Order: sequence, then structure tokens, then C-alpha cells
Amino acid sequence: MNKLKLNYTSLSFLPILVCIPLGYQLINNIHFGGFRLFQEFLISAFNPKIDNEIIITVIKRLNETILIGFFSWLVSIIFGAIFGIISSNIFYKIFNIPNFFYSIIRFFLTIIRSIHEVVWGIILMQIYGINFSIGIIAICIPYIAVNSKVFAEQLETIDYKSFESINQINAPKFSSLLSLIWHPIINTFQNFGLYRLECSIRSTVILGLFGIGGIGTSIFLSFQTLSFRELWTYLWSLAILIIFSGLILKKIKFNTTNKILSIFFIAVFFITILFSFSYFLYFIFNNNSENFNSVSSLFKSSSDLGLFDFLKLILETIILSLLSTGIAISLPPLVIGIFNNNSSKIFIKIFAFLLRLIPTPVILLTLLTFNNPSLSLAALSLGLHNAGITSKLLFTNLDSQDKRNYIAMKSLGISKKTSWLLGLFSQQAKSYLAYCAYRSDIIIRETAIVGIIGSIGLGWQLQESLSSFAWQEVTIVLIAYSSIAIVGELINGKIKNSLT
Amino acid sequence: MNNTVLELENISYKYKNDLILNKINLKINAGEKIALLGKSGSGKTTLISVLNGTIKPTQGEVKLFNESFEELDRKQKSKITTIWQDLRLIEDLSAEQNVNCGLLAENNFYFAFKNLLNISSFKKAHKYMKLCRLHNSIYDKKIRKLSGGQKQRVAIARSLIQESNILLADEPFNNLDPKLIKTIKNLLLENVDVNKTKKSPKTALVALHRLDLLNDFDKVIGIRDGKIFFNIKRDNLKKIHLEKIY
Repeated sequence: MNKLKLNYTSLSFLPILVCIPLGYQLINNIHFGGFRLFQEFLISAFNPKIDNEIIITVIKRLNETILIGFFSWLVSIIFGAIFGIISSNIFYKIFNIPNFFYSIIRFFLTIIRSIHEVVWGIILMQIYGINFSIGIIAICIPYIAVNSKVFAEQLETIDYKSFESINQINAPKFSSLLSLIWHPIINTFQNFGLYRLECSIRSTVILGLFGIGGIGTSIFLSFQTLSFRELWTYLWSLAILIIFSGLILKKIKFNTTNKILSIFFIAVFFITILFSFSYFLYFIFNNNSENFNSVSSLFKSSSDLGLFDFLKLILETIILSLLSTGIAISLPPLVIGIFNNNSSKIFIKIFAFLLRLIPTPVILLTLLTFNNPSLSLAALSLGLHNAGITSKLLFTNLDSQDKRNYIAMKSLGISKKTSWLLGLFSQQAKSYLAYCAYRSDIIIRETAIVGIIGSIGLGWQLQESLSSFAWQEVTIVLIAYSSIAIVGELINGKIKNSLT
Repeated sequence: MNNTVLELENISYKYKNDLILNKINLKINAGEKIALLGKSGSGKTTLISVLNGTIKPTQGEVKLFNESFEELDRKQKSKITTIWQDLRLIEDLSAEQNVNCGLLAENNFYFAFKNLLNISSFKKAHKYMKLCRLHNSIYDKKIRKLSGGQKQRVAIARSLIQESNILLADEPFNNLDPKLIKTIKNLLLENVDVNKTKKSPKTALVALHRLDLLNDFDKVIGIRDGKIFFNIKRDNLKKIHLEKIY
């Protein structure tokens, strides 16, 4: 018998097997009481509420969202670039700093980014109370670390020989550093930094669901009151904001030879740094942290968390991550492959956009209308939201791909689906899997959000511990969370490296 | 009087398990023009990298003006300029910005900043680029858009703008046509500044493959398997010497 050989194409489809246990649990958990609500939710999408009052609320809430999103993006991108520089190899080579510091700063940033912005937000809210600034700070903390990783990765691609050449000229170290990193930094900002604004807005919406403010808060409140028409007004206005911001960002080209523009950006850079520092200090000294007396409280308060329960929560979180990742990887190629015609493509694209648009907690709450809370339901929500994101990438790559192989296969009489699989998708499978490896890092972090809403895993425990100000439990949960995310990042990094 | 500018004392360099340079002793006197011959992989590039301080030898000492290279400050080290075989230009920068990088050593951080923003003066860079027969239409073009020969001349202009007294060059005539080779050879071996006025004699060590270019050199060094096989005056070079290294 021939041995089973796995290739990148089959590996892209294999994770869909997670749907077997998932589907089994979901079918067993169906309850019919909420179907009417679900139906109402769907119908409301075509009949959103539009009156003066709601339009004023939308404008006000969108303003808040844009403000939080924009400022957190600006601060996180600038500090991300700074931390990216000081966590890149080139910095340590130029200044002859021992690699020990390089490892320390990288490890520190890995821990920071392993905790989702929602978790940071909830912790800060618990310490300082609900505050507009919390949203910005909560997004900035992990985003700085995420952005720094991307900037550092780009700086690592600087040709070592260029470094040697500049080094041999014996220029002042800061001059050498600047000459080498300038363009990689600008290119990263242009290719990645602008996209992060969209991420910032999405994160603001999710934090809003937890009470920070902005359109997210309105979405959550309208869901709680089952005002689905209002809910869709907010969702569509958010869609318009995301589409418009995407269109504007596509138009922006950072021209480094434009002197005035360059000087303007440098001024923004330094003003943001100064402003951020002074604002951060103002925030620290003008806000009471009554619920969090000192660092020692992290270790003093007693914990009721049993070892068995704790391990169970960790296991739940890991399973949740694996199931969601399986859906996010395999669902897009499977659906695009099966419904491979132009009209279906448009429908899938719209559906994928909606999955990206609707925050994971809202997807979960919607599904909860006809299904009991379970690990599978949380995994399905998280997986569907991320499948919306992976399908966007897959569509973009497939649309821009050379189609000669596909056409040649079809001309040989091979079926459309097989031609698509072997002539189109097979060439994308490797890069698609590499991106999915990166995406699974994010999925692990996002398990915190669905955990809180869906009463699953460590996210739920974190919420419980924070509500009772059990800081020791909070610390334990955060360490566990961080460890899972770091191990996940290491494994995914290895997978990504083997694929690229 | 001791007029040695560069000296290698018992230099060995090991990379992983391979001995790339094997106990090399070499003295280069002021004003000497030396051609370095040897087949590919013989250790020419490594020798140049050791001489300019890019590679630290596994054993032995490099001396510049009779002082250990390790103990010299940045300004003193910048008296050596190098043209690399693989050019090592910054691909994202324009030709004139790359040439201006040669001035980084004698300027402060603000100059580097202005260079990147295109607001520094390119006068000097343009003069050297013109000397290297580079047309002004390519001055502001990014390196990746230039031909091999143009890139080669940008690297040479970057080296010349440093106005250093000691030149180390690793096959600098690659990608150049015969007419240009003559011009560039004169530029490299005669110490000229932008005004084409001759200054103190330049010390040069140039790795070569083409024997027809040996005319303007005083000495020839032959290297094989990381060892110097001969170090003789050019006039004494015989076929037997070349047979030893090729």
C-alpha cells in the first residue's frame, strides 16, 4: 500500500477535521427557543434603524472610536518602531551591545504582546475605573510590542554586508544606524503601519463591548436589549468607516523624497513621543488606583483556584485555540473551492467581510441564541471571525495569481474544481499556511475575549478573578495565558520559518 | 625610516573548520601600489576584510601606522577606504545618497539625517560621480535600478569621496569596459581630489584577476589556499610565479 504523503495543499484542508467533534457537540447543544431571535437578527441586517436620534449617536460613537483608534495607532506605531529598532540585531551589532540585552528586551516584548488588549483593558479598568484613556493605553501596550516585532523582523532583513560596508567607513554609530534603517522603517510603515490603523479601530470596537466607549459599547448595549435594528445601524456604520479608512489608506503613499512631507512626519514623530510621555505621567498621577494598592497584593491575597480546575482551564484554552485555528485555516479554501464560480465568489466575499466586521463576541452572542454555551461554540465564533480574515488574504492572492496553469488544466478537460485546486490553490498553499501560522498567534490571544463572553477557559477565570479583586489569581491566570501564547508563538515561528 | 602603514603579523583566520588565512605576514609601505593575485577562494577577500578591520583574525595582529588596529579610534580607522567585490551599497538609497555615505565618518548625525531626507549638499558627491564618468541622469536613481557597471562606479565614487590615503579594493574593475577601466585605474591609484590635483602618494592594495592590468603596480602578491606564495616587485613576476597560484 502506498504511504500517505502530505503536501501544503492537503495540509491546508486537513484541519477541517476539527469540525467532526465540533459539529457533534454543537448539534447536541442546539435549543430552538432562540431561533426567532436569530431570524430577527438576520432580517434586521436589511432593515437597520435610521432616525435623527440614532444618527447623532452613531456620529458621536464613531468620533470616540476614531479618536481612540487613531491615537492608539499613532502612539503604538511610533513606539513600535522605536522598540523594533532596539530589539533588532542591527542595533546591537552597531553599538557592540552584548546579545544578552537583545534576548532580554525580546523576551519582555513577547510577554507584553502575549496578552490581548481586552485583557489589558479589563485589568486597567479594574484598577482605574472606566476612563477614555484606558482604551488608548490598553491598545497601545500590546500593539507597541506587536508592531515592534514586525519592525524588528524587517530590520533583520538588512543585508549584513551593507552593515559591514557602513561600519568600515567608520561613521558615527548613530549615523550608520540611521542610514541603514531609514528605508526599511519607512517601507514597513507604508506596507504594514497603515493597515494597523484598521486593526486599532477593530480593537477599539472590541474594547467598547467591554465598556470603554465608542461604537463597540453601543453595539453591546443594543445586543443586550435585543434591539437588532439599532445593532445593525451601528454595524453598517462601522463597515462604512472601515471601508472608507481602507480606501483613504490605499491612496496614501509616503514619498521620502518630498522634503516638506518628511519634515512634517518627523515633527509628528517627536511631538507624539513628548505628548505620550507627558500624558502617561499625567494619567498615572491623576488617577486613583484604589482597587490595586501595591505590587505586593499580587502575591498576598489568597487563591481559591484548585490545581485540577486550573489545568482544566488551560487545556480548554489550548483546545479552543486549536479548534478555532483549524476552522480559520481550512474553511476559506474549502468554501472557495466548492463554490468556484463568479456569483458565489461575490457572495463569499460579502459573507467574509461580515465575519471580519462583526466582532467575535457579537458572533458568539448571536450563536448563543440557539446553542448552549460550550467550547465548540466559542471555537466556532473565533474560527469564523478569523476565517473572514484569512479568506480576504486568500482571495487577494488568488486574484493576483497567474492563471495559465488553471486555464491549461481546464482545457485538458479536467473539472473546474480540480483545476482550481491543482492549478491555482496549490501554488498559494505554502504562503497561505505561512500566514495562517502567524494568524494562529492572534487566535491564541483572542481566546481571552471569547473565554470571557462564552464562559470558557482562562478568559472566563480572568474575568471572575478580576471581579473579586483576587489579584493573585489574576497573576496566575496571566502567567498561564502568557505562557500558552509564548509557546504558541515559538511553535508557529518554527512552522512559519519552515514554510518561507 | 619606518614608513610601513599597514602590517599583518602572523595572521590566521579560521571559519568553522576551514583555515582561510594561514600565518600571513605582510608589510605595506606608504605609497606602494600592490596587486593581489590568486584564484577564486584563495583568501583575497578575507585578507582585505582583515586589513580593514571588518574581520577579526583568529590569531595574529593587524597594525595601522604601527599601532594595533584594535586600539585605534574611529577617525584613525577611517583612513582606510575599501571597494568591495560585491559593492555593498545600500539598495534603498539613491546613487548620490550612497556616495554621500562616504562622508559619514567626517560628519555628524545631522549630516546623515539630511542625506536621507535629500536636503544635504550633493556637490562633492556629484563631482566624484562625474570623475567616475557617471551621467547626471542617474544621480537620484535608486541603486537597484542601475546597471552593474553604474553600481560599480557608484561604489568607487563612494570610496573616492572619503579621500583616504589607503585604498583596499577587491576586483574593482568588474563590469567596466576597457576605456573606463583605464580612467578608473588612474583615479584609484593616483591620489586625486575633486580638483584633480595630486596629493601625497596613495597606498593601494588591489585584488585582481586580469594580468593585463598589472602595469601601474609596484609589487605583486600571490596568494593560494590562504598563504602568501610570493611577494615580489612587478618587474620580477615570471610565469613560474603564476603557475604556483593558478
